[in-house]
Amino acid sequence: MFNNVLLCTHGTDGAKKAEAFAFRKLEEDPELKVTVLTVLDEDWRQMTGDDWLNSSKTHTTFLDHVENQMNEEIAEEWQRIKTSYSSAEQATFLQKTGNIAETITKAATELGCDLIVIGPWSKGKKFSIHSTHMGLRTTLRNKNLHPLLPCPLLIVP
Amino acid sequence: MSQLKEQMPTIIMGGFLLVYGLIVQSGALEPMAKYLHTHKTLDLQVTMTLVIGCIAILGAFVNAVRKPGNSNLDTFILQPLGGIVLILLMAMAIRWYAEPLMKIVSKGLEPTLGFKIYKVLNLNYVVLGILAGVLLTNTWGIPKFAGPGVKCARFVLKMGVIMLGARYSFAELAKLGGYSVFLVGFFVLGTVFLVLWLGNIFKQPKSMTGVLSAGMGVCGVSATVAVAPVVKAKSAEMAYTIGTILTFGIVCMFVFPTVGKLAGMSPVQFGAWAGTGILNSAQVAAAALAFNAVDIETLKVAEIFNITRVLFLPIIVLVLATWFGKETGQKLSFKSVVIDKFPVFIIGFLILFFMSSIGMFSPPSHYKGKYIDVSYNDRSQVTPEELVTLQDAMAKSEFSGLKPEQLEAVTNLIEQHQIAGNYDERNDKKAFDHVGRARMTQLQGTLAAAKGKEITLSPEVKSALKHAVKQVKKKSKTVVTLTDFMIWFFAFGLIGLGMQITKKAIFQAGGWPIVMGVIAGITKAALSFFVVLWLIKDVVLN
Repeated sequence: MFNNVLLCTHGTDGAKKAEAFAFRKLEEDPELKVTVLTVLDEDWRQMTGDDWLNSSKTHTTFLDHVENQMNEEIAEEWQRIKTSYSSAEQATFLQKTGNIAETITKAATELGCDLIVIGPWSKGKKFSIHSTHMGLRTTLRNKNLHPLLPCPLLIVP
Repeated sequence: MSQLKEQMPTIIMGGFLLVYGLIVQSGALEPMAKYLHTHKTLDLQVTMTLVIGCIAILGAFVNAVRKPGNSNLDTFILQPLGGIVLILLMAMAIRWYAEPLMKIVSKGLEPTLGFKIYKVLNLNYVVLGILAGVLLTNTWGIPKFAGPGVKCARFVLKMGVIMLGARYSFAELAKLGGYSVFLVGFFVLGTVFLVLWLGNIFKQPKSMTGVLSAGMGVCGVSATVAVAPVVKAKSAEMAYTIGTILTFGIVCMFVFPTVGKLAGMSPVQFGAWAGTGILNSAQVAAAALAFNAVDIETLKVAEIFNITRVLFLPIIVLVLATWFGKETGQKLSFKSVVIDKFPVFIIGFLILFFMSSIGMFSPPSHYKGKYIDVSYNDRSQVTPEELVTLQDAMAKSEFSGLKPEQLEAVTNLIEQHQIAGNYDERNDKKAFDHVGRARMTQLQGTLAAAKGKEITLSPEVKSALKHAVKQVKKKSKTVVTLTDFMIWFFAFGLIGLGMQITKKAIFQAGGWPIVMGVIAGITKAALSFFVVLWLIKDVVLN
């Protein structure tokens, strides 16, 4: 039914459900094209908050560190996916920087995807001292994402 | 055509300012200004709105007809013009309308609520400005045309601190500097080691405790941004830490001034406490101005503490780099750790301080641009009405409770219409000045006695005496101008920084950093509160 799937993941519990679904489908249909997309949130630029003491050089150093760190963490995340799902070797892995909703839909358009797969919204463990995640916590809002969609969107429950 | 369209917001704002300036100049807004108690600022309102309005329209048309280049004029004035005008517009609206209205509404609600919201939440123009900035960025977002201008806030705030340098004397700087090095040194190092120790207890990674300890110990987000690359902090650790610090800092900004007032702290004590206990340095300035926005005394103290801990930043970065490097084998150069992190604007602050100290803004004998001049001068005299008030009070024996020397000072004031030395000694400048100053001290003592209810004086008499004392305290025009600019620079900078606090950044607070951060932050704030109350009795500021 679908030939070209864009799997969006950043390693959360919800995203892992999407991963499991997409790679199960890939196992069932080896002809299926799956692209794994991880977006580096552009809002990292705003994480310097009300800092006014540092020079622009220090800000640049910080943002470079964030980028390098995120690249490392994303690489680890992709490695986890490849280890967890044998069919993941056939998938293409893609990393982009930008606004989450805009980047997902733009990537889907550029790649000619006919389905976007994401995980469900789940109540985060915001104040749990054990919570760990990659990058910034963010919520993908329907009202931002839906008007931009170039193809069907599947939210895996 | 599209370039003109892009400049439309700036043109509209400029046009609005021009029209507003002309309306104020016509006198049409005077009744409203009197109701709002802003009538004394009407001249300033006309000047500011007309000048800024003209610059906005002129700059917008220049931007519309030519492509922006890379010159300094383009980078620092023309490109950020829209944002600069927007922030100035917000600052003016808040200073001249929002703050006075808040006071009136607060007063009106007092019988119902039993307290003044304005006072409890310290909703002066500084706090309102930050809140307006935060509100704008988290609702409509920063308009596209204003983006580059908002980024100027950092630079403008630094300019404000540099100008503040002109307001210190050697004695003040030495005294405050001594206190600040001791207090900040103790609490910065103490908090850094407390967080590192907590990290060890809770078995947290070194990268996380390193970045959190700098943020909680030194200067909030600024320290986090500086230290994160050094300790190789992970993305979640940085997000958690920044969110925790921003949240804690915003809470402190509201809580500190209220607690300070409830505890009856003096401006010096509060400045020291805010400069030690509040994490983010922008919020230190905001809390100091929230505590006392009229007089910059608190800000002066808080900024010395602020500057001291900023100077500690390279040291802490070096310590953490060494501590972290021991385990990872990572080596960093002295330049990348210390030289690159040195806050250059402090050199500007010191230059202004030295320029002021050697008398470039006012004669060197004058105490920081505010000096006592008891020589004969029409401008030093009390008004004819005040003179009648004093003569009547003397006739009715209202001054009977005064000490002989205080009575002599009042009698002489009535005779000479101003505070001055003896007429016969006018050629002996030293003796004349000495007697004049002694009389001023006696009048100040009279006012203090009236305030302490040791004697009873009518409000009119007290007002006349206060005016007489005020008239001989001259201010250097340069220092007054620098101070006026400085206050607007701080207002501009803090509104702009408010625009850079997003709810997304705040909502990143969580994980172990929030647990350790809250423990360390509250410990630091509480301990520094008691230490400041115990240690700092008072420092005379002029």
